[in-house]
Amino acid sequence: MNLEDEHSAPEADNTSSTESVSPRKPASFFQEQPPQVMEVAPQVLRHWTRRDLLLFGMSATAAAAGAGSLLPQATLERLGIIHGNKNWPNKEWLLNRSLRIDDDVAEALYSRNRLVPTYTKSQITPLRNNYLGATPDASYIPEWRLTLDGLASGLSVVLNIRTLLASFHVHEQITRLVCVEGWSAIAWWAGFRFDDLLRAHPPMSQAKWVRIESSVNLGPWGNPDPYYVSLDLSTARHSQTLLATHLNGKPLTVEHGAPLRLLVPVKLGLKNIKAVTRITYTKDEPSDYWAKRGYSRYEGI
Amino acid sequence: MPHSTQLDKERITTSTPESEAGVLVVRRHHLLVRCSHWLNVPILLGLILSGLSIYWASPVYQHKPNPKTGSFDPLADIGIWICVHVPGLHQYSSPPDWVYNHISLGPGMLAVALRLHWLCAYLFMLNGLVFVIGSAMGGGWRSLLPRRTDLRDALKMFRYYLGVPLAKLTHRSWPHPRFNTKYNALQRVAYFSVPVAGLLSVFTGWAIHKPTQLHWLTAIFGGYDKARIWHFWLMWFLVLFVVPHVILVLADGWDTLRSMIVGWSTRAERSEDF
Repeated sequence: MNLEDEHSAPEADNTSSTESVSPRKPASFFQEQPPQVMEVAPQVLRHWTRRDLLLFGMSATAAAAGAGSLLPQATLERLGIIHGNKNWPNKEWLLNRSLRIDDDVAEALYSRNRLVPTYTKSQITPLRNNYLGATPDASYIPEWRLTLDGLASGLSVVLNIRTLLASFHVHEQITRLVCVEGWSAIAWWAGFRFDDLLRAHPPMSQAKWVRIESSVNLGPWGNPDPYYVSLDLSTARHSQTLLATHLNGKPLTVEHGAPLRLLVPVKLGLKNIKAVTRITYTKDEPSDYWAKRGYSRYEGI
Repeated sequence: MPHSTQLDKERITTSTPESEAGVLVVRRHHLLVRCSHWLNVPILLGLILSGLSIYWASPVYQHKPNPKTGSFDPLADIGIWICVHVPGLHQYSSPPDWVYNHISLGPGMLAVALRLHWLCAYLFMLNGLVFVIGSAMGGGWRSLLPRRTDLRDALKMFRYYLGVPLAKLTHRSWPHPRFNTKYNALQRVAYFSVPVAGLLSVFTGWAIHKPTQLHWLTAIFGGYDKARIWHFWLMWFLVLFVVPHVILVLADGWDTLRSMIVGWSTRAERSEDF
């Protein structure tokens, strides 16, 4: 339908109508937009309304079904939409895709040369022990060793805390640890740079990743539950990525991962693994404790 | 509108029999505005549902644990209150979780809530970007921009809205203030502040999401913890906008609601008597 014809036709052949219409649209009425008053036959208007409402209704139904299917099964069950339906279709791909996109954005934002903000000692806040399971018994500390694997030499290197502290320069930094849960803490850390360890014990040439593991980690009932994280080598080489040995001027306590923990302030807290016992350099991306449980694999902040 | 009925009669009598009397229609909302408007409904709903689940992982507002209920969270207090005072909810297994079970994905849903939040956040940013580019190119932003006379006119509109229920009850005439613009002053304030709040939600969101790589942005909002509070209250601002928005649209009538779907309105004159 040609709207221009609709608009002009009655005015052209009906003078009385035109006169009545003109006071309804004074020049100043539609100041921001030129007046677009048109005359439409009622049945055409009904047709437009029907067509658009139908289109809108179908889109809304499709959107509701699509969005509803993205909600977790437990939420849908609680809302009474499904009742223990075990064959609920797998809808994780879209959510996983958005997580990958977000990880790619985080990786693009990361720069090895960009330093994270540092704070003063007066800004230090309490740091909670956020071990998910039970806190390990301190009895592991005397026997503690760090094992390095995936080295250029092809050998495994086993180091104790004395050797490590004697071999590397200790750096201090007051940085913020940000938890995925939303809380954060500013703490004063000391330790040696991961980069210095990489220089002293170079990884194999194809290595792009590092898997960091704590064999002393415990589950909620004190059962052994090794914790492991994946870290890209570029982040490991960041000058503020430390293998920390001290917190607030004192050697790390059991609660904070004695005797050696990873401190990587460009990642969320869950990558900051406590009581590190093994570091393995790998070509392919290693698995990650929390990524397996639906969290991001990159976790760059 | 005595004016228009007279006009319609006149039109019927004067028009030729083969052409039925036409209805005057005015284009009101551009397709771009309608699409971005309705897309915001599921997107914001998803952001709020997942956002409250994320908030629940580490609530900002806490008080000393209530000796009776053990609750330390004002939102959980509301849930307890509802379970105690609303009949039929006394058997609810966890009253503190009531709010989170009913207006979020539920507690203990952090991993899935984060993924849903990122999905909706990227869609929200995309939708906002298309809207901003489209209104900049089409010039539609001008009708949203607040003006110098808006404070006085907004108060006039506020007075009008307050008086409507009483005028309806007493069958008294309560004329709608006349404006010769697309939106009245109160609408302009509301419709302009919503895109601004959306933009601030995006910025505070990035400030929380990337506090080290975008630390300058986090610093603008007063640091990581303050940025979280900003983000939280911007959500409430959007929620508090929606309530009067929906009430006023429904009160204004079918034509107003329909115009956001079909794009045109049969009210060629906006400033008519209610």
